[in-house]
Amino acid sequence: MSGCIWNEPGSLAEKFWREGKGDFPIYDMHGHMGAHYAIYFKRCEAPEMVAHVKRIGVKRLVFSHHEALWGSVRNAQVYEICKQYPNTLRMYAGIIPQRQDQMKEDIANFDRWAPYAVGLKLLPGYHSADVMDKRYEYALAFANERKLPVLVHTWGRDMAMLEAIQKYPDVRFFIGHCCYGAWDHAIRCIKESSGNAYLELTAIPGDRGIIEKLVAGVGSEKILFGTDMPWFDEYQAVGGVLAAKISDDDKLNILSRNPERILGKDF
Amino acid sequence: MKELMFFDANCRIGDCIEAYPGVTELLADMDYYGVDKALVRHNGIAKLPLSSNREIAEMLKQYDVQQRLTGVWTILPDSCDEIPEPDEFFRQMKANRIGAITLSPFEHRYQLRRIVIGKIMDAAAERRVPVLLDAFAGQWAQLYDFLERFPENTFIYTELGGKWGSDRNIRPLLETYENFYFEIARYWVPEGIRDLAEKYGAERILYGSAFPAGNQGNGMLQLKHSGLNDADIAKIAGENLERILKGAQL
Repeated sequence: MSGCIWNEPGSLAEKFWREGKGDFPIYDMHGHMGAHYAIYFKRCEAPEMVAHVKRIGVKRLVFSHHEALWGSVRNAQVYEICKQYPNTLRMYAGIIPQRQDQMKEDIANFDRWAPYAVGLKLLPGYHSADVMDKRYEYALAFANERKLPVLVHTWGRDMAMLEAIQKYPDVRFFIGHCCYGAWDHAIRCIKESSGNAYLELTAIPGDRGIIEKLVAGVGSEKILFGTDMPWFDEYQAVGGVLAAKISDDDKLNILSRNPERILGKDF
Repeated sequence: MKELMFFDANCRIGDCIEAYPGVTELLADMDYYGVDKALVRHNGIAKLPLSSNREIAEMLKQYDVQQRLTGVWTILPDSCDEIPEPDEFFRQMKANRIGAITLSPFEHRYQLRRIVIGKIMDAAAERRVPVLLDAFAGQWAQLYDFLERFPENTFIYTELGGKWGSDRNIRPLLETYENFYFEIARYWVPEGIRDLAEKYGAERILYGSAFPAGNQGNGMLQLKHSGLNDADIAKIAGENLERILKGAQL
């Protein structure tokens, strides 16, 4: 292994290989929590998840609870979970477009969930909608007024995503999974925004050459790290960022600096 | 830091319809990430079974001068005389640095039954030649039937698309077939490598990257910090695959 990235003196890769963590906080900006109907998750509740992310030095895991997105758990209950792990957990309030009354009630409560609730999570494909669906308007108008982050699940060429970025210029859109596979479209979403959109990397760090392409296309300042935890292992995902053929400065932007620029160091 | 030997069980090279990385690009990535050896199959196996067998042998001969790569050949049904009799087939494999076989029954349109491929599969079992299972993404019923019919063979589960999130399908195979090995490319379950190794033995798990779709580095760090002890990490990183390939009597 001599001469490889893991042995390059002073590099981030070498430090993580040797010590298992770096000397900077990692922000995982795309998490979930709870069981999933189709998949066996051994570590999907708060104690095990927090233990897992802390191994590698994740300072904040920002998540939306699976069951808040399916409707069996309310966001108020997720807030109670976050309170038990104040140094690690932050939440996106899950938005279900089919439940307008519940959505309005949750948005009315949003300020009470500070500092744990930092934004909203939309899952349009799973909810048989796109992000421009009228049923999202109330939530997006609120986020626009407050300049809140909104993490949106995307997969493939999502034209509605680009429309929403342009319609709501004060929302900080986190494009979950970077429109997976439609990389040029993801880059276009950033380039045709007013600076209010970011690419979020969940599911990408295992792919060869994609992080490099995205960094070349939009710059590492516009890219956020995420894992879908409890879906994907933190070491696998951080390993994918460290393994990308980009500079250590780019890697630091993705893993650590960018969320601090958006939300502050102590969010 | 103890040096680890990494032997990547899941790499593809060679053009098919579009251009893909070849030996030179693979070796460059292996150097970049610190991967010592790789088991490689041709991208064209599904569309060009026989010519891809010839081509990968030629690629290894021409470009892999340090002999860090071991090739994989595909089989076809016994009765159509498209591949030689088993003894000759394995002799040719050895002569061309081919260490494992694979099969694409869905693309090549044959049944996974003993009367179709029994002769070559039984010979592979007797000689402990590993069989890669890289064509079964999402085809769990067919895979289960196949393994029931050929329980004595050595299998390496290497497919790309259906591993993650499939513990409910993977674990029964690890429990049932002692010669069923699981390669970890895109198995991104949090601490899942450790869970499988503790439950079924580190001897049953193999490092792999899914090159060129996957990068080789992410799984290396995942394994390095899986929580397993150094001896088990070394087995998964490369020792297990080396043992399996050396155990094959070609």
